[in-house]
Amino acid sequence: MRRLTDNWRSTTARLILIYGAFFALWGVLVIGAIHWQAASYLSRVSDDLIGRQANYFAMLDEPTRQIALNDYVSLETRQLNAWGLFDAHGAPLAGTITTLPANVRVNGPVVVVPDGLSRTDGDDHGSVRAAAVRLDNGRILLISRDTSIVDRIGTIIFQALLWGLSLTVVPGLLGGWLLTRGPLRRVHAIRDATLPIMRGDLAQRLPVSRRGDELDMLAGIVNAMLDEIERLLGEVKGVCDNIAHDLRTPLTRLRARLYRLQQQFGEGSSENESLEACMVDTDALLDRFRALLRISELENQHRRAGFECVDLGEILQEVHALYLPLAEDRGQRLELQVPALPSIQADRHLLLEAFSNLVGNAIKFTPSGGRVDIRARPADDGPWVDVSDSGPGIPVDQRVAVTRRFYRIESCRSTPGSGLGLSIVSAIARLHGFTLEVAGGERGARLSIHCATASVS
Amino acid sequence: MPRILVIEDDDVTASEIVAELAVHGIDADRVADGREGLDRAMGPGYDAITLDLMLPGMDGLGIVTQLRAQGIATPILMISALGDVDRRVGGLRAGGDDYLTKPFAPDEMVARVDVLLRRHRQQAQQTLLRVADLELDLVRHVARRGGRQLSLLPTEFKLLEFLMRHAGQVLTRAMIFETVWGFHFDPGTNLIDVHIGRLRRKIDTGDHVPLIHTVRGSGYSLAQTD
Repeated sequence: MRRLTDNWRSTTARLILIYGAFFALWGVLVIGAIHWQAASYLSRVSDDLIGRQANYFAMLDEPTRQIALNDYVSLETRQLNAWGLFDAHGAPLAGTITTLPANVRVNGPVVVVPDGLSRTDGDDHGSVRAAAVRLDNGRILLISRDTSIVDRIGTIIFQALLWGLSLTVVPGLLGGWLLTRGPLRRVHAIRDATLPIMRGDLAQRLPVSRRGDELDMLAGIVNAMLDEIERLLGEVKGVCDNIAHDLRTPLTRLRARLYRLQQQFGEGSSENESLEACMVDTDALLDRFRALLRISELENQHRRAGFECVDLGEILQEVHALYLPLAEDRGQRLELQVPALPSIQADRHLLLEAFSNLVGNAIKFTPSGGRVDIRARPADDGPWVDVSDSGPGIPVDQRVAVTRRFYRIESCRSTPGSGLGLSIVSAIARLHGFTLEVAGGERGARLSIHCATASVS
Repeated sequence: MPRILVIEDDDVTASEIVAELAVHGIDADRVADGREGLDRAMGPGYDAITLDLMLPGMDGLGIVTQLRAQGIATPILMISALGDVDRRVGGLRAGGDDYLTKPFAPDEMVARVDVLLRRHRQQAQQTLLRVADLELDLVRHVARRGGRQLSLLPTEFKLLEFLMRHAGQVLTRAMIFETVWGFHFDPGTNLIDVHIGRLRRKIDTGDHVPLIHTVRGSGYSLAQTD
């Protein structure tokens, strides 16, 4: 299942993010256009001014020009304006500007000097706009104006953009996050409701609120589907159980008749031999039905009333003692390793049944001379019990299937059995909230039950 | 001849029980109604009762509770279609002596009735069990065959005790498993056979007369046959 903690995966969050990106882009474009327009207007105005002033200075006579030029500089308190007087060859004569920039043409238009001018009254590397005019006496007058004011306006506009964006995008994202949280909380509730369903409790339904929104519609659809699945499964199971139940009575009678016949013929007669074979077959059939009904009985058992504090080690010792003679008769070693374990909440009888099944199975499928190990190991979330053997093992692709009813591994079909043992173990584990793990491969099988203490409430 | 009261509302099951008991020389009266069953059970003359738990008139658990409350100790074999451990425990706690799940093999039923009948007559506090030259001292935990002490594991001792307490009776594998191990699931026939085999190898050794007998199709019996 995908993690649901990532709030930004939801539809609302995605829409908010896309909207936010669009808004930011659009804002940048608009502000950019405004900036460009304002800057070009301001440049035009200042160019116009510089051009006029240059021509005006050129028209004045020498003393008046000197006063006017001094005013030109001193009246602009921010020292934005400057001038320089050069001889016909470009050597500086007066003013604060000491070099004639290469790109300024005499009597030409106002140009931008990007690297600034070298001045005697301080370094100024900021970009300036400048124009040069030839005076009556052949000298060249250069006047310049610092245009950093235009850049400053650009900065102000840019800051306005940032403020605007942050005031729109931040509350937008916050609002989006809040909007996402509500539905996500409900998705979490739905996920919590599906967990027991996935574990097999088909009586559970998804929560539906009174709002009747999209989530509720979806939950409604899923609930209707669950109703139908539950009904169908119930029917199938009912049919299976009924067959098993109804066939058991006539089979029991059949066995009784065979038994009576056997008594009548007496020991050692030839009829007795075939009757014995009939009874063995009938017993096998009855065992199978009994196991089948046992599974459905376990699956219908939802309550945990029979649970008590159980010493797992003691149970394993009992199972070991129960199966040791059988293993020894078959020339196998049955080893038990149980460290000190905390007691667990469980149904003692059911655990005995489950571990007996596991150990019985292991012994059955292990050849003579092999070994079977029962090992318990503690863990933080509840002890594990491994039953491993040196038998043929369970092929990887069949490890899930072996817990299914009637499933038998192809290579083991000649060994007598119903194919229901592991289904019983699996049903008992599920009833406890434990997990049955099937592992191992070439060299023997390992079946483990994880007695998860956390899930027992 | 022992007399049994069969309280069972299903005609087929009832006739099966009565017929099977008759084969083994046990007289049986059948009652179909719960209330009538209780009245008859209160009266004298019955050595044991088989009791269906689901009855018209009055249910089986009610009958057991009433009988025990009246101080009537007639052994009762409860028979029910419901086989889970909780029901079994509930039935036994109410005062039943044994519990059998439907459908059952008739020989299993008779074996259980037989055990109930003899248990009633047996002295409860026997400390020394003896069958032929096999002795079991329950106080000192010692088993002897012909004067020679046998070394038995705890489970083997319990198994032998159960067999000897019911010497001469047929004990089914299920009865052995339930009584000796206290387990109520089906371990497969093989397992009990192996345990019996071990015990047999320790007891019926050499030139001793075999005492543990296999009863075909049913179970085992410990008895002196000659």
